[in-house]
Amino acid sequence: MAAIDESQLVSKMLGAAQGVLADKWPEARDYAETEFKKLAETIAFIEAQRALGQMSDEKACLHLNMQENSAKTILLTLEGLGILAVEAAINAALDVVKEAVNSTLGFALI
Amino acid sequence: MGAAVRMYLVPIMVSLLVLVMTGCASIKLIADYDEQTDVAVTQFQRKMETFLFALERNMGENEASYGSNAKFYDEVRVDLSAIRVRAAAIPQNDISMQQLSLLADNINNLEKLHKLGLGVNDIPPVRNAFNVVCTAILKLEIAKKRGKS
Repeated sequence: MAAIDESQLVSKMLGAAQGVLADKWPEARDYAETEFKKLAETIAFIEAQRALGQMSDEKACLHLNMQENSAKTILLTLEGLGILAVEAAINAALDVVKEAVNSTLGFALI
Repeated sequence: MGAAVRMYLVPIMVSLLVLVMTGCASIKLIADYDEQTDVAVTQFQRKMETFLFALERNMGENEASYGSNAKFYDEVRVDLSAIRVRAAAIPQNDISMQQLSLLADNINNLEKLHKLGLGVNDIPPVRNAFNVVCTAILKLEIAKKRGKS
């Protein structure tokens, strides 16, 4: 029975994990940019309305609190997407172990 | 391979092998996708959008006053409560729970604004806030499908 090459296995696991993480980031970045742009435009609108005297300070405060809550939900989504990416990376690395074990044993144990 | 690397690597490799060999071939760090949450949040967004369009159309009329719409706030709070109870029953769902709390807080803010008296210029920021929050919740919920359709 062939021995498992530990360093090669680690390298493959890292490669699998990095590939998964790199694939996920552009999608998350595009989403964050789009949503934060909407929030920035809305905050500028609120401030302009307040400066023109079209919106009271009390109402501007409530509006800004709503936008702040919105920003927090975006950040929470990004946190969740990050966790999912890490999960996928760990599972990709586990798949490499599975392949290595089966291939070393010469039959599909796992 | 150095002794230090071997010291840490071997236990990790053994742990991973044990995980794989005991049938735990994949791990889960966050809740599974929940179709009912997806549908309920989508319905909530539609209800809110319908409400905002009606307010815009009737702005300045009695139909848009807080008194004429107080019941709406009770209804959406009940809707949201049902979504939150379901979300709380799903393991590893803390992030979605936090998002739903922020959505509930935005309902409170909208009600306060409405009591102060809404104008046409209040609607765009309110609409944006609810759309961004609902999109964020749905984006994460759909991502929980993990590539499955």
